[in-house]
Amino acid sequence: MAISEATRGELAELAARYPRPRSAVLPMLHLVQSVEGEVTTDGIHACAEILGITPAEVTAVSTFYTMYKRKPVGTHHIGVCINTMCGLLGGDAVYAALQERLGAGHDQPTADGMFWLERIECQAACTHAPVMTVDWEFMDDVTPASAIDVIDRLERGEVVQSTRGPAIRSFAATERSLAFPDDGLADEGSSVDDKMLAGLRVARERGQAAPAIPSGQEG
Amino acid sequence: MTITSNTGAEVAKAETIAVTVDGVGIEVPKGTLAIRAAELLGIEIPRFCDHPLLDPVAACRACLIEVEGMPKPQPACAQVLSDGMQIRTQQSSPVAREAQEGVMEFLLLNHPLDCPVCDKGGECPLQNQAMQVGRPTSRFEEDKRTFPKPISVSAQILLDRERCVSCARCTRFAEQIAGDPMLELLERGAKQQVGTATDEPFDSYFSGNTVQICPVGALTSAAYRFRSRPFDLVSVPTTCEHCASGCSLRTDSRRGTITRRLAWEDPAVNEDWNCDKGRFAFTYMAQGRITTPMVREDGALRPASWPEAIAIAARGLAQAGSGAGVLAGGRLTMEDAYGYARFARAVLGTDDIDFRARQSSDEEAQFLAARIAGTPATVTYEALERAPIVLLVSLEPEDESPIIFLRLRKASRRRPATVVAISPVRTRGMDKMAATWLPAAPGAEAGVLDEIMSGGSLAETSMAELRDRLQAPGAVILVGERAADVPGLLSAVARLADATGAGLAWVPRRAGERGALDAGALAGLLPGGRPLTDADARDAVARAWGIDAGSLPTAAGRHGTPLLQAASRGEVAALLVGGIEFADFPDPSLARAAVTATAFVVSLEQRHTEVTELADVVLPVAVVAEKAGTFLTWEGRPRPFGQVLREDLAMSDAGVLSMIAAELGQPSPGDVPALRRELGSLGPWSGARATTPGVPAQAITARAGITLASWRLLLDSGAMQEGEPHLAATARPTVARLSEATASHAGLAPAALVTVSGPRGSVTLPWEPAEMVDDVVWLPLRSPGCGVFADLGQVVGGEVAITPGGAA
Repeated sequence: MAISEATRGELAELAARYPRPRSAVLPMLHLVQSVEGEVTTDGIHACAEILGITPAEVTAVSTFYTMYKRKPVGTHHIGVCINTMCGLLGGDAVYAALQERLGAGHDQPTADGMFWLERIECQAACTHAPVMTVDWEFMDDVTPASAIDVIDRLERGEVVQSTRGPAIRSFAATERSLAFPDDGLADEGSSVDDKMLAGLRVARERGQAAPAIPSGQEG
Repeated sequence: MTITSNTGAEVAKAETIAVTVDGVGIEVPKGTLAIRAAELLGIEIPRFCDHPLLDPVAACRACLIEVEGMPKPQPACAQVLSDGMQIRTQQSSPVAREAQEGVMEFLLLNHPLDCPVCDKGGECPLQNQAMQVGRPTSRFEEDKRTFPKPISVSAQILLDRERCVSCARCTRFAEQIAGDPMLELLERGAKQQVGTATDEPFDSYFSGNTVQICPVGALTSAAYRFRSRPFDLVSVPTTCEHCASGCSLRTDSRRGTITRRLAWEDPAVNEDWNCDKGRFAFTYMAQGRITTPMVREDGALRPASWPEAIAIAARGLAQAGSGAGVLAGGRLTMEDAYGYARFARAVLGTDDIDFRARQSSDEEAQFLAARIAGTPATVTYEALERAPIVLLVSLEPEDESPIIFLRLRKASRRRPATVVAISPVRTRGMDKMAATWLPAAPGAEAGVLDEIMSGGSLAETSMAELRDRLQAPGAVILVGERAADVPGLLSAVARLADATGAGLAWVPRRAGERGALDAGALAGLLPGGRPLTDADARDAVARAWGIDAGSLPTAAGRHGTPLLQAASRGEVAALLVGGIEFADFPDPSLARAAVTATAFVVSLEQRHTEVTELADVVLPVAVVAEKAGTFLTWEGRPRPFGQVLREDLAMSDAGVLSMIAAELGQPSPGDVPALRRELGSLGPWSGARATTPGVPAQAITARAGITLASWRLLLDSGAMQEGEPHLAATARPTVARLSEATASHAGLAPAALVTVSGPRGSVTLPWEPAEMVDDVVWLPLRSPGCGVFADLGQVVGGEVAITPGGAA
């Protein structure tokens, strides 16, 4: 699909944010995904033209990072962490259940193109392991049943609330937020909860503290 | 402490540091890499990604060494040494040896064992180093990574991804050296692979270098793939015949057939690189060759014996004598050009001689005689690299002298804005050299130079500042052969060089032009830059030639268009013609008429051409691989080379001319050593030179139409690129370029065709918007579907019309 003039304008706006325009290639590729549903060849050319670099250079970046897809992702991106902590605490089972429910394998779309399933790496959310992400928003402490329930509700078009962020929108909306983070949703949901602060509480109770930084090594 | 460099400038001695390699102390310049210090001691550390002319990347990890005080082995290719540093290579460190063996085992995990069918087998750094530092067995028992093979990264360059060790030499070459970052490392981890964008090939004039520097067999050329084994090849050091850059090459042949050519290292000229034309365009040598002498009988050419053909040629030329003319062509070796220069004066007694088979002018001949012929190489590649400013006039180095382009790009990576280019078009090549573009319509260049002299301003560039920069020591002006298109331009160039003290060099396109000039194959000039009109010069030449000085012509003869015009009127009694093509002349029909109207024509040619069809005697001559010789680079640097195909008996031009001279009882040298000896004994001229031309810059009169700008692309319809379809497929497309304003004024639709019309005809081709002077159209001079001289009948700077040419 050809990139519209409006999108080109927004891509140029992103490029103008950085002293070296090519630094903008990551948010620009997210913007491409938000309008194209994937990193298309047209999108790569648009980024290359605006940044004054070659399509090969943009392709190199877009194939290096796993968040950029070269096939249409669909309405929702479903991620399941399968790293050690989440995997052991049930992530593997969640992934297996979703694989069966969606009929899609790793990094693949469903037949109807609505979902994209991906085994993802650590999301730094081990406190709430196992975690699943929907359009990169957290669904904490999932079980096979609760994960399938999320899919069912999304399919029915119901509002699904992230356990720690805004209500689920769509892959396209999230990709747009990754390009333009100022989406006004930063304060939606609770970013810190009791479970996350448990370690700190225990340390305080016991009077534990990190050793002082040796002088000369600060920062 | 200071040392004096060969350019006379004092340079500070580099600061040195003391380091220890395997217990041996050595002093090295500050900033030296560990791998280079080890090399200085003769210690070879294995490496794949390391290349002295590419930025260090430490991608392959094959060069791990132990550095005292560092907890883990370090890559020697990226380890900058500091004073007192102690390093240990695999020679003395078990840690380094184990690390290197481990990396080698790792690199071989996915590498196929297809050496017996791999082009690199036998000359493969991976094969060699695996034998030297690898383990005899691998612990890897899983399936190796495989890919569909090969993929084309361009029409010429093929990639077998499973062989790649991800050293990033090719991608760094593309980005750093060529400035064409269209080859990249894609994907990551186990999937990492070299590749291009989906719909854009590796479009570079220098792509073949990636095949040569690939340390495994991952990159191959369509031209050479599966053609031979390296140990079956006979290799000869040669000089490239395609342009005046003068690359050092290695030509490989097998059973009398050339299989490939490689760039051969020469730090003073081409470093480690060459262009794709020089690398791949050698198949022309086998195309349409003339194998036997031919003479015209009853209107038709028939094969003849050498003695018969020589006798007929000698008789006809002797009859014409001083009424004969010589068109030598610009592709000759210096020895062959000298053969023509000598034959014309000593045997025929004529000075009607020219080597310039292209647009030329009287002003140019005078400029060359005054400033270039027989002068030593002072403006060199090294001088370009150091110059504080290089002003390009009528020269697009990427197309017309690719090694100048690479050197200027190299300079610009360290010092941007070194290069300033006067041109009607801002080109991709200029961007790659970080050049400042000084726009000038074709014909207006001389005015721009005068503007620099007087310190005015143009397009936001301060001319006074430019003039000051040209006055700095080491400043250089490079003027291309296209300057002959513009009356007054070469005069203005000389004027500016004199006023600022900037070094001046003339860059012809063809490999033989500078040698032909210095050999005296131009009317008015004897060998070594001697003016023919100077009695002392004639005496010296006559002595060297063993003839009476009185028998030499004393008045400068005709050249260029006047010579062709005289011949077309039947005023030239005979023509001796070397390798020329009518389509190269600004008026191809005049060149054809000149040959047609001349009563007796002798053609020395390698192949059947339009000239041989019209000739009375055709004498076959050797191609460059069948003879030894010398090319002079644009600098004036001699580049001697040996014969590649040693069993071949084809005779050089000078050899054939020597036979004709002998037939006329005037012995003259015909073999390369004797020609070199005689030419060397003459040496350069130290007497008075011709005066520099003083043609004023022409006033640009406003014209209603469009002005034509043009030059030859590196890869085009040239005869010496025939027979290599993969190379031809990498040529840039034949497109016209216009400014957006000019295009919209002419009513051209985007992505449609444009028709450009001249006095003789028109061409219709796609057009591209470009940053360029308004009311100018740029066309490739001789590309498929667009021959400016032959199709339009217009010269560069002339007026053409543009009209919409329909849908693409």
